[in-house]
Amino acid sequence: MAKKVLTICPYCGSGCQIYLFVENGEIIKAEPGPGRTNENELCLKGYYGWDFLKNPKRLTARLERPLLRYNRTDEFKEVSWEEAIGFAAKKLADIKAKYGPNAIMCTGSARGSGNEANYIMQKFVRAAIGTNNIDHCARVCHGSSVAGLAATLGSGAMSNSIPEIENTKCVLIFGYNPAESHPIVARRIIKAREKGAKVIVVDPRFTEQAKISDLWLALKNGTNMALVNALGNVLITEKLYNKKYVTNYTDGFEEYCKAIEKYTPEYVENITGIEAKTIRQAARIYAEAESATILWGMGVTQFTQAVDVVKGLSSLALLTGNLGRENVGVGPVRGQNNVQGACDHGALPALFPGYQSVEDETIRRKFELAWGVKLPAKPGYHLTEIPRLAKEGKVKAYYIFGEDLVQSDPDAAGVREALASMELVIVQDIFMNKTALHADVIFPATSWGEHEGVYSSADRRFQKFNKAIEPKGDVKPDWEIISLLSTALGYPMKYNNTEEIWEELRKLCPLYAGVTYKRLEEFGSILWPCPDENHPGTKYLYEGNKFATSSGKGLLFAAEYRPPQERPDEEYPLILCTVREIGHYSVRTMTGNCSALQTLSDEPGYIQINPKDAEKLDLADQELAWITSRRGKVIARILITERVNIGTVYMTYHWWIGACNELTIDALDPISKTPEFKYCAVKLELIADQVFAEDYVQQEYSNLKKKMFC
Amino acid sequence: MNNFVVADSEKCIGCRTCEIACVLAHSKDGSLSKLSAKTFCPRLKVVKAATLTTPVQCRHCENAPCVAACPKQALVQNDHSVQVVKGACVGCKACLAACPYGAIEIVIAGNSTPRRVEVIKCDLCRDREDGPACIKTCPTNALHKVYNLSFDRRINQRKR
Ligand code: SF4
Ligand code: SF4
Ligand code: SF4
Repeated sequence: MAKKVLTICPYCGSGCQIYLFVENGEIIKAEPGPGRTNENELCLKGYYGWDFLKNPKRLTARLERPLLRYNRTDEFKEVSWEEAIGFAAKKLADIKAKYGPNAIMCTGSARGSGNEANYIMQKFVRAAIGTNNIDHCARVCHGSSVAGLAATLGSGAMSNSIPEIENTKCVLIFGYNPAESHPIVARRIIKAREKGAKVIVVDPRFTEQAKISDLWLALKNGTNMALVNALGNVLITEKLYNKKYVTNYTDGFEEYCKAIEKYTPEYVENITGIEAKTIRQAARIYAEAESATILWGMGVTQFTQAVDVVKGLSSLALLTGNLGRENVGVGPVRGQNNVQGACDHGALPALFPGYQSVEDETIRRKFELAWGVKLPAKPGYHLTEIPRLAKEGKVKAYYIFGEDLVQSDPDAAGVREALASMELVIVQDIFMNKTALHADVIFPATSWGEHEGVYSSADRRFQKFNKAIEPKGDVKPDWEIISLLSTALGYPMKYNNTEEIWEELRKLCPLYAGVTYKRLEEFGSILWPCPDENHPGTKYLYEGNKFATSSGKGLLFAAEYRPPQERPDEEYPLILCTVREIGHYSVRTMTGNCSALQTLSDEPGYIQINPKDAEKLDLADQELAWITSRRGKVIARILITERVNIGTVYMTYHWWIGACNELTIDALDPISKTPEFKYCAVKLELIADQVFAEDYVQQEYSNLKKKMFC
Repeated sequence: MNNFVVADSEKCIGCRTCEIACVLAHSKDGSLSKLSAKTFCPRLKVVKAATLTTPVQCRHCENAPCVAACPKQALVQNDHSVQVVKGACVGCKACLAACPYGAIEIVIAGNSTPRRVEVIKCDLCRDREDGPACIKTCPTNALHKVYNLSFDRRINQRKR
């Protein structure tokens, strides 16, 4: 008889509950569980995304023993945990003594490791190393949402829960393709539409979600701010806004009106490429709905003008009173399964767990008392600044936990250069990856499925995930590895299980104080804030329209439109925008090792192009082509489709050979430091000899695998 | 009248979960690890056109052109559906050319001589206890089985 283990899907931020069926110590299948968000449904990643645990060696090898090399030109050798930890501790201590604690940078992990591991990591960074240099991949995705919403509403998370989407009367989807990135959120949108909601999609591509919409605003790439301002302009000039709400609950109305004055729909027609009357129509539908929800994704946050746009979107919700009650709100829908959790638990350079500022003296005192050491007050470095800081000689050691920066961050060549310049690179992961190729020491960790803890899904929802199988090899849970290293560095940490860690952290975080393992098991999930053990959790934020800002009011905000940084020109005439595809996930170490998902699509990945552009370049569907930017050159397969706009090409960032981040630019939003993944200039070239090209791809693939199975 | 599975393209997100479910439902042990791009042959295929995404599969036609075209009676009307008679196919591909939906594929199974050919088409998962696997797994409930056309609420709604 198979054992049935209830856990949480390790992929997207929807946080679906899954049953894993285990027989003879192996998972044999997955079935949907009764989660409040997924209601017994799963997407293909949930159903078929667990067999990477069987180490099928399709893309890369599972790490099963600590690996070490004393010289970067040497091969890795398998060593004992003592030797690996001892080496890392000694090197870290030396670097700290020589350059100071701020020369050491660490990451949290938004993936399978869980909230407790992130708590332990940031504690290690702050208490054992003595710096706030911790950040994680939220920086390259929803960092802009966190910064923008914190300023206008006071909390960077989704205001309302995912199930509520089903009962809203209007969904404004901005730069977000839930059909591809969160199928289980898309399911709620489809249900809302069946119940009569109007769905408006803003996207330059005709996405799957645009197909399932009532109005599609096909804006030109990189013109978000102009459009958001124009929507605000219509709300004001057509008196569609909620006067009473604005007077009672918001600040900054006069400045807002001034800022959006010139952004009439007619004025932005040329900038955005959308007809004025369509913009008016969208604003009217949004304003006139009795309840309306705005959802957005990377199409908003991955621009050099991103925080401003987030603030502008939240202003639309404030103007129409679509906050502080059920079935409305603003939703930056988090991508990775636990990116909300890594943010929740202090894997950020300026915040302790529970969104408590490192600069606030009273808060710092509280943590100093609990942890028994003096803590640094100065915020740490941002993840995306590290390549520059490494070049300047300011960062000498990098402890990378559950991330693959070479694959996920912009300008891969720049990232590799930064890693090469470090005196110490520690990688802690479950799979060998492109970043680990630059490491000195590699710590093998247990995977999702092999350990337990708590995840936070995109809607602030804590859910307990459970262990299904025993890990193979000499691997340890992330929190245990970090504790060992901390102890070796002279700051002892010892926990017996994740519940002990959870108990420590909830006492330090008023937002989560009432959440216990027992209550999570009892209720299935709890949404923070949950201040005490009798509190049911909080489905939607800002009840009574009390905002978490210093004035208690929501801030209205608009900014002048700024175009993206690297515009197409004669040499690089096309815009490259990076996107997602449903069957693969993030840096693909997991899904690339899943049989079903790899069967549906494999290397080198596609580049989507409009038939008109393809014709100009003499490119044929399914052929291979070179794509070049000022930073790099890769090969990918051509996919000709009318769904994409003329002048822009689209690549998904999961592919290892068609790796679009060899091409992207590290231009950053000035506030959130989130890179402009959605816009850089490239050129495409036909490869005349397709036989050579196919061989080249095969050769590259097998070279890559050789490196991964060192 | 025959039964068939139909998709609502207004709900289909093109995720292809149904394709994998279909293949696993027709594999010997339902094991994932044997899947590969070379042998992957779902009985429904998700088609993405300029403005439409929808899975396409056998409609179990009442006057089935494939049944009429097959010289070997390898395709028959049976149990309110069009079904394949095991072992009867010779691989002449007449059905493939006749099907208006392109819902049939012929594959060579194994490398034995004489060659063993198989007709692959939707069989409504008739050997599966839970009924059609595609319907069960689709995350947006875009698929459903039509038992009787005139009583099908969802189809009637669309007619209006
Ligand atoms: S929607 Fe997200 S959480 Fe749910 S099964 Fe798919 S990947 Fe997993
Ligand atoms: S599983 Fe459902 S939504 Fe996905 S492709 Fe199939 S029919 Fe469409
Ligand atoms: S009913 Fe069964 S055989 Fe037919 S398409 Fe669906 S899963 Fe495949």
